[in-house]
Amino acid sequence: MLDDTVETTENTSSVELSRTTQTLDYHALNAMLNLYDNEGRLQLQADREASRQYFLQHVNQNTVFFHSLAEKLEYLVAKNYYEKGVLDQYDFAFIKSLFERAYAVKFRFQSFLGAFKYYTSYTLKTFDGRRYLERFEDRVCMVALTLAQGDETVAQQLMDEIIHGRFQPATPTFLNCGKKQRGELVSCFLLRIEDNMESIGRSINSALQLSKRGGGVAFLLSNIREAGAPIKHIENQSSGIIPIMKMLEDAFSYANQLGARQGAGAVYLNAHHPDILRFLDTKRENADEKIRIKTLSLGVVIPDITFELAKRNEPMYLFSPYDVESVYGKPFGDISVTEKYYEMVDDARIRKTKISARELFQTLAEVQFESGYPYVMFEDTVNRANPIAGRINMSNLCSEILQVNTPSDYEADLGYERIGEDISCNLGSLNIARTMDSSDFGATVETAIRGLTAVSEMSDIRSVPSISEANKHSHAIGLGQMNLHGYLAREHIHYGSEEGLDFTNLYFYTVTYHALRASNQLAIERGVAFAGFADSDYASGVYFDKYTEQTWGPRTARVRELFDKAGIHVPTQDDWRELKASVMAHGLFNRNLQAVPPTGSISYINHSTSSIHPVVSKIEIRKEGKLGRVYYPAPYLNDDNQEYYQDAYEIGPEAIIDTYAEATQHVDQGLSLTLFFRDTATTRDINRAQIYAWRRGIKTLYYVRLRQAALEGTEVEGCVSCTL
Amino acid sequence: MTATAAPRHLTRVDAINWNRLQDDKDLEVWNRLTANFWLPEKVPLSNDVSAWNTLTEQEQTLTIRVFTGLTLLDTIQGTIGAPTLIEDAVTPHEEAVFTNISFMESVHARSYSSIFSTLCATRDVDDAYRWSEESPHLQNKAELILNRYRMDDPLMRKVASVFLESFLFYSGFYLPMYWASRGKLTNTADLIRLIIRDEAVHGYYIGYKFQQALAKESAERQQEIKDATFDLLLELYDNEVHYTESLYDDVGLTEEVKAFLHYNANKALMNLGYEPLFPGATEEVNPAILAALSPGAEENHDFFSGSGSSYVIGRSERTEDEDWAF
Repeated sequence: MLDDTVETTENTSSVELSRTTQTLDYHALNAMLNLYDNEGRLQLQADREASRQYFLQHVNQNTVFFHSLAEKLEYLVAKNYYEKGVLDQYDFAFIKSLFERAYAVKFRFQSFLGAFKYYTSYTLKTFDGRRYLERFEDRVCMVALTLAQGDETVAQQLMDEIIHGRFQPATPTFLNCGKKQRGELVSCFLLRIEDNMESIGRSINSALQLSKRGGGVAFLLSNIREAGAPIKHIENQSSGIIPIMKMLEDAFSYANQLGARQGAGAVYLNAHHPDILRFLDTKRENADEKIRIKTLSLGVVIPDITFELAKRNEPMYLFSPYDVESVYGKPFGDISVTEKYYEMVDDARIRKTKISARELFQTLAEVQFESGYPYVMFEDTVNRANPIAGRINMSNLCSEILQVNTPSDYEADLGYERIGEDISCNLGSLNIARTMDSSDFGATVETAIRGLTAVSEMSDIRSVPSISEANKHSHAIGLGQMNLHGYLAREHIHYGSEEGLDFTNLYFYTVTYHALRASNQLAIERGVAFAGFADSDYASGVYFDKYTEQTWGPRTARVRELFDKAGIHVPTQDDWRELKASVMAHGLFNRNLQAVPPTGSISYINHSTSSIHPVVSKIEIRKEGKLGRVYYPAPYLNDDNQEYYQDAYEIGPEAIIDTYAEATQHVDQGLSLTLFFRDTATTRDINRAQIYAWRRGIKTLYYVRLRQAALEGTEVEGCVSCTL
Repeated sequence: MTATAAPRHLTRVDAINWNRLQDDKDLEVWNRLTANFWLPEKVPLSNDVSAWNTLTEQEQTLTIRVFTGLTLLDTIQGTIGAPTLIEDAVTPHEEAVFTNISFMESVHARSYSSIFSTLCATRDVDDAYRWSEESPHLQNKAELILNRYRMDDPLMRKVASVFLESFLFYSGFYLPMYWASRGKLTNTADLIRLIIRDEAVHGYYIGYKFQQALAKESAERQQEIKDATFDLLLELYDNEVHYTESLYDDVGLTEEVKAFLHYNANKALMNLGYEPLFPGATEEVNPAILAALSPGAEENHDFFSGSGSSYVIGRSERTEDEDWAF
């Protein structure tokens, strides 16, 4: 089993390579993916050879050898590599059988990038970083053993789902489980900042603490008084939000997760905050060094009223958060600007400035052209769709987490007078193609929900009490999805086509049913529902109306056939009525269940297309700090099915928005949606897409990406990524 | 050689009218270059500090020297090369394009200093500048180009300029692409790729203008220019081989860089409208380097990874009432 250390990729014997290719190293072989061969064909076999050579030339030579599993585990525990407590929960006989079953699956990486990414970023290495101590199977078993918390059945189920590629935990979970020296298992944090120095100071500390432990951190800036606002009634004193952004940026670049990756952060601001234009200008190409923001991500919160004002081509008022808070006794971020807009306009106590609403949208698009930022959150859409009592005023670093929060009050020494609720979310994604292939669709979803819930139960972020408290009460998780495009292409369906949309709707519909069923099951087992359940639309039953009062089913023959062929039962109205009754009686264990993240790294290991996006290219060029430039072939791509791999720039924003709209109606949190444009686009095209997304009920928009075609005459000959 | 039929220079000062184009290519290239505007401050170079510290002392010295060599070439191109081409321009729009090229070359030269100040100790950089003054091959290279710029022959000035933009830079560009393919100095590589993105357009445009001008010449004069072009290339190539050896021998990369030189010499000739000199050069180049060169903006990255080299300054357009019809 463990002495089986020579990894070979399948099909290598059939690979015919020229002499020159055989002498190349794996980086060069991988790069051949981006170059057509002499007959203009994709060189997919070069990537398979790259993956094989990577094992032969590098991994196998640098993997520490053990004679048996017992010897290996003893050594790793004794040398402080593995957490003893994780293994002590089980009999050794069970652990041994789990590893044996994992190895029996004969897992092989499907691409060079998958293998390279895994060994560079995830696997356990010796403390000097030179040798590998784990293979993929070992990592999977340790994750399963950690998350099952001593339950053999769950451990077996998790191992099975992960090794077969149906469920893939997010990076922090997959990277850290079972290791003695590790960061947190949680992916993502969202924190409010209130309009006082204690809260600002505390937020810098939180940025440091959370970056050190892993995951991205987002902060809400909407509550902070604007530049020039009074401090202690003395006018023109406040410096506004930019210096806070600077401090946060520095904090993030200082702290990183044991060198595994740099801290990363985002800040969100309401569009009606007086500093909104200054906020956007920090990402301008020619911004002054004092105000330029390089690595912090930006997000803008846009209420419906802004669209209404722009529609009528009227000016929009920006309101001083300082005055709003003193008038309403609530932070600016907790006010619905749409609801209070005209009231605030007419209130002389609130100082205000005026800009053109359409110009704001244009500026937004200009900055997106130059930098890809800001993200956008459609505030009123998000709150209308939120089944939980409370208000959502921000999102996170990937714009898919949407949860309610409440403010904290601080003592002068930064202790807590009152601990509010801040947000954390642990993520994991299902591979849509493999899940459709699953022998038990419902069980796959349920195991994933159990795995994610375990992360929430095992997490206690003591350095930020507002996060720790909220997590204890809410058990919020985010089940994501990836490989939609890969699946559709494999089944010869075009992304964004009628069948593509039909599938997306039905898939998410079915997943939602099973996710709720699993969370209800957990509430029954634990005998407790999440705090605030009684005030939710789940408890009142209103949430279920859309499922019990209309029939959901396949709209096209092809999708009906796909579900029939896979033997997947599409939940009926009766199924929903039964579930509704059980939920209203016993509750849900998790306050939030689904969120679709952009899935970067884990989709390479899992051999998926990212999230539910179209591919960015048949052969994707991936650049990451630790990897350099690596090339990734789209899953299931071959010389014959290329027509189904139209890329995101060819497909265009509308088909992507339509696809996301199908999924959005079933997902309780958000979905990271990137808009892709060619460089012939103008800011107006970006604005139109934003308007369309808002109208279709999209909750958030993630990056704007642009592709510039090489000027005719300057291309690299035979380069795959240059031929558009 | 004397310029027998120098093209018509612009004699009067006319207000430039971008709505009356003599050559559509001018506007196309202008639009591309302005959309590609960037400054080195946008690249988070400091993320490369830890990777820099993993290089051996020898590798660090090599890297600094390579960048110093590039700085010298960019300085020549920004302060002498491109301004000379402005004087040779035959349309006002061409002049405008060259002012942009001239400025961006200075931005490139400035960028290397940004790299130095972020990654290296001042003393090491000063040593490298001293080295650049004393390196016979680097100085010879500069002299060969400057010599052409000083000649009173607009065609040969363009030839020299294309060789600089499309050929001579690349022995230097090789190294950051090589590091990046090994996961080192990836943000520096982003910055270099921005420079490559510019140089690819510069070389192409100057080559295009060369071909336009050459077509108007007599057959005899055309042959004369072709001979002089290949003579210059061989002279530069010979020098470049020595320069490459002096830099890369110690790290054992000389053969690979030479293969890359062949590839780029062919590209330069292609820009000038001539046939390639080194057959089969493309196949010999390390695919990792070749694939990394593509000047398009298709690279994918996320917030954990750096800024990338893909964003451009967009065209602004007001939304109209019809866009807001909901």
